[in-house]
Amino acid sequence: MAFKRDKKEEEEGTGNPFQNLDKTAVLQEARTFNDTPVNPKKCTHILTKILYLINQGEQLGTQEATDAFFAMTKLFQSKDVILRRMVYLGIKELSNIAEDVIIVTSSLTKDMTGKEDLYRAAAIRALCSITDTTMIQAIERYMKQAIVDRNSAVSSAAVVSIFHMTKHSPDLVKRWVNEVQEALNSENVMVQYHALGLLYHIRKSDQLAVTKLVAKLTKFTMKSPYATCMLIRIVCKLIEDQNAASGDTNWSNSPLFDYLETCLRHKSETVVYEAAHAIVNLRRTSARELAPAVSVLQLFCSSPKPVLRFAAVRTLNKVAITHPSAVTACNLDLENMISDSNRSIATLAITTLLKTGSESSVDRLMKQIATFVSEISDEFKIVVVEAIRALCLKFPRKHAVLMNFLSAMLRDEGGLEYKASIADTIITIIEENPEAKETGLAHLCEFIEDCEHTSLAVRILHLLGKEGPRAKQPSKYIRFIYNRVILENATVRAAAVTAMAQFGALCPQLLDNVQVLLARCQMDGDDEVRDRATYYHSILASQNKQLIQDYIIEPLMVSIPSLERALHAYNLHPSPTPFDMSSIPLSTITTSDPTEMADRLRTPSGGVASEPTAQATARVESYYEKLSAALPEIANLPGTLFKSAAPVMLTESETEYVVRCIKHSFQSHLILQLEVSNTLSDQLLENVTVQLEIPEGYELIKETPIPRLAYNETQSVYIILQYPPSLADSVTSVGAVLKFSVKDCDPTTGQPDSDEGYDDEYMLEDLEISLSDQMAKVNKPNFLALWEEAETDESMNEMEDTFCLSKMESIQEAVASIVNFLGMQPAERSDKIVAGKSSHTLYLAGVFRGGIDVLVRSKLAVSADTGVTMQLTVRSTSEDVCELITSTIG
Amino acid sequence: MFVLLNRILDWFKSLFWKEEMELTLVGLQCSGKTTFVNVIASGQFSQDMIPTVGFNMRKITKGNVTIKVWDIGGQPRFRSMWERYCRGVNAIVYMVDAADTDKLEASRNELHALIEKPQLIGIPILVLGNKRDLPNALDEKELIDRIVKWCI
Repeated sequence: MAFKRDKKEEEEGTGNPFQNLDKTAVLQEARTFNDTPVNPKKCTHILTKILYLINQGEQLGTQEATDAFFAMTKLFQSKDVILRRMVYLGIKELSNIAEDVIIVTSSLTKDMTGKEDLYRAAAIRALCSITDTTMIQAIERYMKQAIVDRNSAVSSAAVVSIFHMTKHSPDLVKRWVNEVQEALNSENVMVQYHALGLLYHIRKSDQLAVTKLVAKLTKFTMKSPYATCMLIRIVCKLIEDQNAASGDTNWSNSPLFDYLETCLRHKSETVVYEAAHAIVNLRRTSARELAPAVSVLQLFCSSPKPVLRFAAVRTLNKVAITHPSAVTACNLDLENMISDSNRSIATLAITTLLKTGSESSVDRLMKQIATFVSEISDEFKIVVVEAIRALCLKFPRKHAVLMNFLSAMLRDEGGLEYKASIADTIITIIEENPEAKETGLAHLCEFIEDCEHTSLAVRILHLLGKEGPRAKQPSKYIRFIYNRVILENATVRAAAVTAMAQFGALCPQLLDNVQVLLARCQMDGDDEVRDRATYYHSILASQNKQLIQDYIIEPLMVSIPSLERALHAYNLHPSPTPFDMSSIPLSTITTSDPTEMADRLRTPSGGVASEPTAQATARVESYYEKLSAALPEIANLPGTLFKSAAPVMLTESETEYVVRCIKHSFQSHLILQLEVSNTLSDQLLENVTVQLEIPEGYELIKETPIPRLAYNETQSVYIILQYPPSLADSVTSVGAVLKFSVKDCDPTTGQPDSDEGYDDEYMLEDLEISLSDQMAKVNKPNFLALWEEAETDESMNEMEDTFCLSKMESIQEAVASIVNFLGMQPAERSDKIVAGKSSHTLYLAGVFRGGIDVLVRSKLAVSADTGVTMQLTVRSTSEDVCELITSTIG
Repeated sequence: MFVLLNRILDWFKSLFWKEEMELTLVGLQCSGKTTFVNVIASGQFSQDMIPTVGFNMRKITKGNVTIKVWDIGGQPRFRSMWERYCRGVNAIVYMVDAADTDKLEASRNELHALIEKPQLIGIPILVLGNKRDLPNALDEKELIDRIVKWCI
């Protein structure tokens, strides 16, 4: 990257005078600072070089920085204004690297209180950067004066510097609140804005104080538009917080909301926009509340200022996702903006129209986008792609037009992110709309013929392997895939080999041809490709259905890091028993399931909704690390960590002690990790334990208390339980009490007042141990075949029962709750329900702790008078598990 | 040779231009360094002074002599930095509170440590006994006995 830039600069010819600076040479030059008399010009230049180096990311050692810093302090003898101001900058940059920087405190306080106005603001900023908690008292007097100084630059500098100081000494800064309050009444727009920012920052953790502040400020109009904007943001936060706390939806009549509405009539455009933006972004706004804000934005749409038009259309674009009908009023203005000379505005206008428009207008709009899509940047192209994705889901019948458009875009030049978003969109469309499948796959096949992004090609090949064999004419995809083997790099070739093997496994009529191709791949130059080809070739040649099922169609489901860890441990201590694959925890399923895709559509900023799954995988791994650090015993438990459930709160989140429980299931043990937080600043807790009413059958193995829990700390109590021998007892609820001994202490220092403590306890909510805690999701792409096989398989047990789910009103609701209750993975996309149908079949696959496979078929029917009826069939290798599932559902 | 030339040049300069001198003023806290600078610079004497956090730089002109004074704070945390400001100056002034007998030993140790710095060899040092007007203050002889002689 750096090389590229250098080359570019050479071409430009002018070059940067500081380009080839050498750190040692510059620091050597800095010795000139010690000379007398001081040469201001020369020293300013050298200081500039030092600052340039630091800002380019050059690392200075502590000794180097300290030397340069002390040399720089000698420059205080010069009266040159420019040099002095450079020295201030130097102090700020070096303050966190050099040692003993407080040496300049006295000189800076002199400058900040002196006559020279040019020095004062900058001196304050430098002073605050060198002052730490221990030194703050020495400058307190000067800072208090500076906050209320008549000179607005000085006052602003003081307020902003204090804001930065709250990071390391929040409590000391609170003592200056009176002065800040005075600065809030300043005539200067900036001082007022900064003062409000600081005041809010100091008080933001105290909702009552914020409410008071807001109530006071909303009564009169502040002079500064910036401060008003800040106030609007605070008000919004307050409204959201109050909503969350009270659950009250009827807040539109509250004085806070009235304030937002009055701001819509403010004379400053900035404030008006901020208010409109705020109203639009409030959660749970109804159309009536939105209307005034939208009409203000509509006015902005016809403004001569491009900035206003851009801001308005961007905001409308967002509103269109949640409230398309509210934006329809602006359709006319948006139509006019399509021809805007600013392409960014035009793109946003069109995508907004796509979101609000009717099915009939799609064709026309798509044509219009096509005229300028090549002129806009990738970032906006992605906006267009997201809009198209939403459109496809809304109007499935239009998929042909949209798909053509997308494939045209795929052929254009573009970066990886852009191409990936198009491919994602096509994949979503294929998944959501079976009619679009064939065309979509065809487009993707065409795309990989000329795809420069390896990661994307690999993804598409994987998709072809999954979907291709089930298409009407699987043979036509083989050609595209095999072309990759001939033309691409090793990574893509390996993916292509895997995709071909899928065809061989699933389409018997193609098996011979695939075997020929795989045989050819065994001659490949790359190890991985050869290995894969040989592997698949021999498995396919075996004709053994079970082998093919387990090793080609169903990929390895275990969590890779855990497998690595287990194999390593096995190698270190080899045992006579063979390595047991089933002891490895299953990986959390990371393939994006359809509901998640739909979520992503609602938040088209992208990626937000897909993060939790990735985190979930990481979570299991990191839990294991943490657990084994805290509890060395778990190495002796049979099996490894099987599943960690999502954290459950055992208290309200706003109570004195907050307790959160994470359940970790092992093969035959359950570890409860109870994270306890102490939110009382005047208490020190000792010997914290959680006492459980151990339910019948369970056995307490070990309990580790928290020896000492100070204010604001979170630590964990670990409890190891053994699951009961009878599975039926394992699903239960456990009463829990937090027990500890309290020592009262001084809130500021955290030191206990006396050594005498008293015992106390705190009731917790009951802890539920459910079926889903003991069940992991697995992906079975070929569920139906497995289901049929299980019927004839001797080792499989089957159990069937019928239930009446009278509380459920729709099939959708029932499916969601069954999936959630059992903690199993829906297969064959059976969790998607065609709207309006009165019956549905849900297929679920999972693994019970100890590696017991479980398959579930649930036939659901809905009727108006009885609610949802369910016929549940469970097939599993263990009879007990079957019984457990059928008995707990009831 | 070069040194000799320089000296002749300096001598010529001093005939025509003002003479410049650089002094560093050090000593334990509360020995009266900043007050001393204020008095010789502007004749102002103030009873209540705050401790110097870091250093003060003052230029004092008397006749055709300009003296640059680096007045360094005397609190323990600044003592390690004295040396940095003493390098290359024309003279070091070491201030001692003659009335505070409790701190004499500490003062002597700091002076001792300062003189032993190899970087400062050859720089003249003046030990000033301050606060002579207070009762129980030591006189020159005693001060020399308690402070200077020990070092040499």
